[in-house]
Amino acid sequence: MPRRPSPSVAPRGSAALGLVAFLAVVAAFAVFPQFVRKPYVLHMGVVLFLAIVQGQAWNVIGGYAGQYSVGHAAYFGIGAYTTTMLLELNKIPPWWGIWAAIAAAVLVSIVIGSITFRLRGPYFVLASISVAEIIRLAALYFKGFTRGAEGFLLSDIPALKIGATEIEFYTKRPFYFTALALAVITVGVNWLVQHSKLGYYFQAIREDQDAAHSLGINLAFYKNVALAISAALTASAGGFYAMFVKFIDPNTVFGLDVSVQFVLICIIGGIGTILGPVIGAMVLVPLSEVLRNPKGLVQLGLLSSDSRFVQFVEEHLSNAHMLVYGILVVIVILFAPDGVVGLIRSGVARLRRRASARERAQAATTT
Amino acid sequence: MATILDIQHVSKFFGGLAANSDVSFSMEQGMIMGLIGPNGAGKTTLFNCITGYYPPSKGEVLFKGVKTNGMQPDQVCRLGMVRTWQKVRPLAKLTVLDNVVVGALARTASLKIAREIAHEQLRIVRMDGKAGMIAGGLPIGERKKLEVARALATQPELVLLDEVMGGLNPAESEEIIQLILELKKRGLTQMVIEHDMKAIMRISDRIVVLNSGEKLAEGGPREIADNPEVISAYLGERVE
Repeated sequence: MPRRPSPSVAPRGSAALGLVAFLAVVAAFAVFPQFVRKPYVLHMGVVLFLAIVQGQAWNVIGGYAGQYSVGHAAYFGIGAYTTTMLLELNKIPPWWGIWAAIAAAVLVSIVIGSITFRLRGPYFVLASISVAEIIRLAALYFKGFTRGAEGFLLSDIPALKIGATEIEFYTKRPFYFTALALAVITVGVNWLVQHSKLGYYFQAIREDQDAAHSLGINLAFYKNVALAISAALTASAGGFYAMFVKFIDPNTVFGLDVSVQFVLICIIGGIGTILGPVIGAMVLVPLSEVLRNPKGLVQLGLLSSDSRFVQFVEEHLSNAHMLVYGILVVIVILFAPDGVVGLIRSGVARLRRRASARERAQAATTT
Repeated sequence: MATILDIQHVSKFFGGLAANSDVSFSMEQGMIMGLIGPNGAGKTTLFNCITGYYPPSKGEVLFKGVKTNGMQPDQVCRLGMVRTWQKVRPLAKLTVLDNVVVGALARTASLKIAREIAHEQLRIVRMDGKAGMIAGGLPIGERKKLEVARALATQPELVLLDEVMGGLNPAESEEIIQLILELKKRGLTQMVIEHDMKAIMRISDRIVVLNSGEKLAEGGPREIADNPEVISAYLGERVE
């Protein structure tokens, strides 16, 4: 799904091709659990889909609108806490609670947006970090409401009844399909944004705010719209995360490293593209899993348990995953500023140029 | 002819510095107003005051009888007044067509209609062959024309052109002159900041001269070219 040249000038076939490829990938993931039943593999699938949701959510505000929020933990945590507290304290199941979570995150995003969008560039980034930190500290402090650092340990999620079928949330399978559905929805939302007036206005704001302003774009309004869409998707990711992991506390859902992860997925994959966050998630999730839990490779049967690699990672790297992320980001920014997607795209362009040069050379020799 | 823009006693202070002081003039529908003056005379500041980037410190700007002081640039644009930038501001990563589509979306929510409008504007500035190119890669002459096409796509009644010929070679400048004259034929009102005196004398119906933030003179091109004060403050010698 190419952004450059934009959809308006891309050959019509490529959009259809992209859709077919997308549906094929989704279908493959949908039938995947029929063949592979290892809980660990399904668990990794859930983590991957969740990372895609996070990346796509951030992509709306950071990728298209160019507003680098490093405070998305705020909306993630609000999503997580709202769904958890509604379930634990009011017995409201998560498929209803998630809507309240989304509404709460959107409301908060409007408040945060109308304050922080007065700032531009690095000042906006700093403001977004501090707002998320304020919320994290508030969640730690107001123990009566949030239980503070103690957090919430989730009891069981009630079974979901659709007609005669009952879905129990005991195994990984229902979570796998829910996460897949969320990923598909967020990819769809990004596609809709890119192919609408909103996408054009977001990108105009990213490229040049003053020019956008002079062309009739209400900056404050459209930035807030972008943030609200992003916050809604982020809250759904947070709500899902809480249900999946079954334990939340302020540091795990409101922490700065959560915010950073949103940004990393997009920067590594390529911001402002639909494919970027997907690829970013596919790079980051396996990498962080290997670093944190190299035994997973043994469980998958990819390596033997006495492998040197597993020992090395366990001894030297498992506590240094943030360092590895940092090095990765530096490499990406230096050598592939448009992420993996940009790298692939420029590679394809180079091949095409070479091919056309060869054609021209051949034409010259034949005549 | 009806008055489209009325600038009344506009002053703009930056601290103690008066970038504009007590500037007044008005424009009739369909005319081309030249705005000239030495560097630092306050021409671009006046553009910024008119289009909502700065609120004037004093005075009023009336566009089609509506007071635009305190309006934001996007509101001014939707009211029908749009400016281009002296230092061009292409949406660098978007294509030429998409740059113009962004302008066209000021009047429609439909991408299909916006694309039609955008193609039409690109034809007017003779850039229809470059629709698919990335705006950031264009040479300066093309960027200037893209600025104009993008502004036109917002379907304005008044366009403020800030040195669209600056940095262009004579052939490119001539192309812009023809474009401005063609837009005039289509009934568009234009205010033009330009340093090329021969060009400004050719295209303007009236000219306002700014000097140190104040209006030094106003009149027809001949009148301005002969005005001894304008000659000593800015022109240096008579323009033939």
